[in-house]
Amino acid sequence: MSLGNTDELAFASASRQAALMREKRLSPVELVTAYLERIGRLDGRLRAFITVCGESALVDAKRAESEAAKGQWRGPLHGIPFAVKDQLDTAGILTTSGSALLRSHVPAEDSTVVARLIQAGGILIGKLNLTEFALGGTLRFPYGQPRNPWNDEHDPGGSSSGSGIAAAAALCSITLGEDTGGSVRSPASYCGAVGLRPTWGRVSRHGCFPAAWSMDQVGPLTRTVEDAALVLGLIAGYDERDPTTSRSAVPDYRAALNAGVKQLRIGVLTELVDGADTHPEVRGAVREAARALAGLGAHVEEVSLPLIPHAGGVFMALCDSEAAGRHQSWLATRPGEYDAGTRRRLVAAGLIPATAVHRAARARALIREQILAALGRLDLLLAPTSPHPAPPIASHTAPVASKEEAGRRFFGRRSYTTPASLAGVPAISLPCGFTTAGLPIGLQLIGRPLAESTVLGAARAWEKTAALSDRRPPLPTTPSRS
Amino acid sequence: MHDLGPEDVRKLAAALSISLDGEDAMEIAHRLNAFLDALGALDRLPLDRVEPWPTSPEGAV
Repeated sequence: MSLGNTDELAFASASRQAALMREKRLSPVELVTAYLERIGRLDGRLRAFITVCGESALVDAKRAESEAAKGQWRGPLHGIPFAVKDQLDTAGILTTSGSALLRSHVPAEDSTVVARLIQAGGILIGKLNLTEFALGGTLRFPYGQPRNPWNDEHDPGGSSSGSGIAAAAALCSITLGEDTGGSVRSPASYCGAVGLRPTWGRVSRHGCFPAAWSMDQVGPLTRTVEDAALVLGLIAGYDERDPTTSRSAVPDYRAALNAGVKQLRIGVLTELVDGADTHPEVRGAVREAARALAGLGAHVEEVSLPLIPHAGGVFMALCDSEAAGRHQSWLATRPGEYDAGTRRRLVAAGLIPATAVHRAARARALIREQILAALGRLDLLLAPTSPHPAPPIASHTAPVASKEEAGRRFFGRRSYTTPASLAGVPAISLPCGFTTAGLPIGLQLIGRPLAESTVLGAARAWEKTAALSDRRPPLPTTPSRS
Repeated sequence: MHDLGPEDVRKLAAALSISLDGEDAMEIAHRLNAFLDALGALDRLPLDRVEPWPTSPEGAV
């Protein structure tokens, strides 16, 4: 790799950067400095970050450089800068969950996932913007309006908005987000990044402000599938501080990346690919990806799961009622400190009759049963991540004028990402093309419980075939280094 | 089909010690009606056949 241009360095994968460091062709200080320069130059408009830890990141980089000079390597991320959604606790660093209510909240300890990345040698470079309390639908972001790097008048997706922006715009090496109903996959899709929601219970949520405990899951947003595998391998595994984590052994996800898709059975989810809400360019790109995977040796077939269209409404009833319970006290005593969109969403959910929520919980069990039955005979399900490319920011800030509009805006598109959340299974979003307007399109692959290796292997096979990773957002470039 | 109005929503919210202004009450009424319609449609499904077990990492139902 030529290091003559810092853009080349910034857009390189974390795996590549780590290899360059081992070869002594790149130093942690050089890499951190390059990202801090990009953040300073680009983030005034993109607003990916709530907090930039520039000073401490440089101190950590100098220490990492000194250790590397002595041949002391902390782990696979030695000297690699990462940033995390501001929903994840970081010791001594402001952690807002994207809300004005937590504008002074400084945790005493790191969340488990942050601690594990630091233990692996990673350098925390900042905390990333999100929709308020990771719920989506924020009208006015208290820490700045996050913008899509491919067109800054468009939505970057949420709730892990800053994680998607920072990965796609190369503002750091790797990021973490949190996915309750699509909050990792949606920004990955809109921003043209790779976003992985692991199996529920695969990754600890200790130190993660809950959106809905029964579906929350932390996952990576990265520029490559290999980096997603690298990060998952570091953050996955049992944590005594999160009793919902699985004790299953963590496989070597990177070792499975070159398995390919030969003999895999992949089901194209017709309700989502051919759904009335699916944009024709999205449908076309996803169908093309399915054909390409068949060309690589996968057995691809159509599969219909008739309960999928209910997923958005069922998810919203369960997620939002859980969240409403968590927020009830603040809604009663500090309502004016919430964004109006968040407040209305939470109060509405708090008023759903308990019997209706219970019915939704039973419907969730039926949806999960249908998904797991399909995954009993298929290795993967394939679908668009979102029915449409990133919409203009202005399109969802108008008041909701009817219940029909509320249903369309809040339930319909969520039926694309929430099936995996309701079933607790892993799902990845990765780029599968661009619209004629130049906005990314996301492909979603959904796997069996704890079968992240299969998901990542198929994603890597598509990534190699599609060869989209060289396409970059139209951002100002950095002058070449002398 | 549900058609609760802003005044209905205000009274329900008061039970949670939450007071609402006019704009909030109107939009919350639309959102709540959308929820009730969407969840009402679930009655056509065999909901009593399954228990509302959330999930497990190993995928057990």
